[in-house]
Amino acid sequence: MISSAIKALQANRLKTTLIYLSLIFSITSIFLISSISNGIITMYSSMLKSDGDIIITQAKISDTFFSNVDINLIEKINKLSNIKDSSAIIVGASPVEKLPIVAVYGITKNRFINYKLVKDSYPKENEVLVGQSIYEQLKNKNSIEIANKSFKVSGVFKSSIGFENGGVVLNIKEAGEIFNKSASMIMVNSKIDTNIEKLIKEIRTLSSKIEVKSTDNFVDNYNQFKIIQTSSNAISFIAFAMGLLGIVSIMSITINQRKSEFGIKRALGIAMKKIVFQIMSESFILGFFSFISAFFLSHIILYFIKNSSQLQGYVNGEISSTLAIYIFLTSILMAMVGAVIPALNAAKTDPVILIQGNKI
Amino acid sequence: MIKAQNISHSYSNDIALKNIDFEIKKGEFVAIVGESGSGKSTLLSILSTLLKPTSGEVYFEGTKFKDIKDIDTFRQKNIGFIFQFHYLINYLTIKENIQIANENSTKEEIEELLKLLGIKNILNKYPNEISGGQRQRAAIARALINKPKVIFADEPTGNLDSINSQNVFDIFKKLSNEGTTIIVATHDLKLASKTDKTIEVKDGQL
Repeated sequence: MISSAIKALQANRLKTTLIYLSLIFSITSIFLISSISNGIITMYSSMLKSDGDIIITQAKISDTFFSNVDINLIEKINKLSNIKDSSAIIVGASPVEKLPIVAVYGITKNRFINYKLVKDSYPKENEVLVGQSIYEQLKNKNSIEIANKSFKVSGVFKSSIGFENGGVVLNIKEAGEIFNKSASMIMVNSKIDTNIEKLIKEIRTLSSKIEVKSTDNFVDNYNQFKIIQTSSNAISFIAFAMGLLGIVSIMSITINQRKSEFGIKRALGIAMKKIVFQIMSESFILGFFSFISAFFLSHIILYFIKNSSQLQGYVNGEISSTLAIYIFLTSILMAMVGAVIPALNAAKTDPVILIQGNKI
Repeated sequence: MIKAQNISHSYSNDIALKNIDFEIKKGEFVAIVGESGSGKSTLLSILSTLLKPTSGEVYFEGTKFKDIKDIDTFRQKNIGFIFQFHYLINYLTIKENIQIANENSTKEEIEELLKLLGIKNILNKYPNEISGGQRQRAAIARALINKPKVIFADEPTGNLDSINSQNVFDIFKKLSNEGTTIIVATHDLKLASKTDKTIEVKDGQL
């Protein structure tokens, strides 16, 4: 039956190719949309998780970009028991040379260690540390201008997080002057075996203007991630639906053109379920190979996206094994659902009607 | 063996058959004759379970068609079909086409059948690699592989020259003599005269 399905696919090369391409484009779209959104979420959450068990932001602010927390809170926090250290960060963005948006991170000195130097030194006053990705694109590698203020490039760092590798790091005081805020977030590191929930409650008593969450809780409930994930799911669903419609259309045409084949099989006593099984087998084979092709195509496209200088490393797709399994199941589902309706229609029709349909 | 009782059939508002009654005995070689559009193909389709009649009953060895639970298995075991067009599947070899009807049939069985039909050397060829006459005989082999009790043939010689037509009828005659019931729809009265019994259909009536 499987060899028969393969032969049938080979015999209908044009339609097989059309379905195959339709599936590949749909699956690749789902791969890219899902992996890029996952990549963005992973990159940002890795950044947040890199240092700190607790994150403090301004209360009732939906995005960290707009958050403003008093940096002086750090002193009060450090006086609490079980605190290992605390640091602050300002997250902003600014055009740099011809690049329209570059991530700018203003950080306290104790966070510099998070940025692995590959050249020269950490920044002092009026200096910036630049990510390797952006450094390669700078025409003037000695200084950059942010908000009409010139900064000397003190060194270059390398980060596996695309947002950081394509960004600029400077002292939080100078970043505060640029973005007119004290700090976007405060990250708190606790000592081992600390009761985090208890510590969060203690920090909350320090100010009514702050929101305190464990890092994991913050990442899980971060609105921007939810928006990205929801948008990604919606676009993936549209890609799925488009692929499905394409397959149903082409499969309907294919089955319609093979009416007499199915009719003669019915006339010869082949059970309906066997005919449906053959059509489904053809679809499964197409779904399987389309998934494999789309998987490799997505990797190639993601490689180019990752290395595109125009994207500054900010778009970095990540295909996890969970995502691959999810898309594999989606691909097979898409192919099977796309074929089942025309297959059942063919199987239900009287054999003589099918036979009279057309000649092979 | 096959009994048609008050069979009528309509396509939308067009009446194709009206109140047909007759009986065919085991081993009979019967020709259903009539002009194009007379309803003979519709009658053959109904007698062979390929089409459900609008009204009336068809009995096979005393059992109503509508009472047969697994019609596919019934067809596979009891009925063989030959059409005017061969309906061989182009992407399968002749051997694979024949095995559709009986996937358990061996190469030897198929070869023997093809030898009987005079087309032994086409076993591994594809339908588009053989002549029209060979295709029609391959279609006959496909109908015979299950050793069916009844063979239905709708204008089986319509695409064949006179020599091949005669050969096909000779095969039918031989099978009939061996106990297989043969029911052929044809407009060729000369060939019909070689059967045991002729049923004429005109304007959907006998």
